[in-house]
Amino acid sequence: MGHYNFPKEFMLCRQEEKDPRKCLAEGRAVTSCALEFFRKVKSTCLDEFNQYANCLDRGSPDLKFRMCRNTQSVFDKCVQDNMGMERPYYGYFCAPKVIRTNRPRPAPEPPLEFPNTPDELPDTMPRKPAPYSQGGGRQFF
Amino acid sequence: MAGVKQDMPPPGGYAAVNWTRVPAKKFFTGYQMIAGYLGLFAFGFWLTHRMHKVFKNRKIEQRSSHNAIFPILLAERDREYLKQLSRNREEEARLMKDVPGWKVGQLYDLPIYERPNRGFTDPEICEFYAHADPKYLWQRMEYGMFK
Repeated sequence: MGHYNFPKEFMLCRQEEKDPRKCLAEGRAVTSCALEFFRKVKSTCLDEFNQYANCLDRGSPDLKFRMCRNTQSVFDKCVQDNMGMERPYYGYFCAPKVIRTNRPRPAPEPPLEFPNTPDELPDTMPRKPAPYSQGGGRQFF
Repeated sequence: MAGVKQDMPPPGGYAAVNWTRVPAKKFFTGYQMIAGYLGLFAFGFWLTHRMHKVFKNRKIEQRSSHNAIFPILLAERDREYLKQLSRNREEEARLMKDVPGWKVGQLYDLPIYERPNRGFTDPEICEFYAHADPKYLWQRMEYGMFK
């Protein structure tokens, strides 16, 4: 079941590295995995897939799932029979995932350095008291 | 004075005026009204709790589907985005070829996009669309506004 880890690895890479250039290989794996899925569907379950997509598209303005349960069940059965893939439960992709990768963890950002900070005042310098602390209402806050 | 017509009461006098009190008809007593209010409140409470779960699960399913396809679209967008950045860079090199002291990708001497030790910085949206027709910038900025 290594196929299902490609998107997770890509998202982990993207989140850790924060740089799209470093995650191009994982991205290519994700795209090729998705295209392979679509090729398989096209060869075996194309009619059911088209019906389901059409229902989702036109059943509601924002692709609600509950309008299309019958076409969904037909499509799920077809995919399970032909490709052996079961639909995960409805909250699977909302749950957090633990991922094991071979990619090393990137180093954390180094702390900021300020090389030109001025020196502190020496203790011999005369210090004036703060202008509002002479008593009055401002001695409490 | 005979023969004058006067407005007189009818023979036998007027009928008696009914001045008894008729209070409003009571359909519920006070206790019944309070009990009814509490009953409806309880029913509404239970119904809200039951439908809250249903709505939450529908939201979860929609979000699940969005999370499932997001990596696919993000991978494609990343590739195209980086290609567009390199095209921008080439366009800038072509435009500023004759300006003395200009380093491509930087403002004369000041590096804008490469931060040392912190890597990649995205350009602003106006910089990204700098070499294109402004209508594409407006389209991009208005995307999702009229949902």
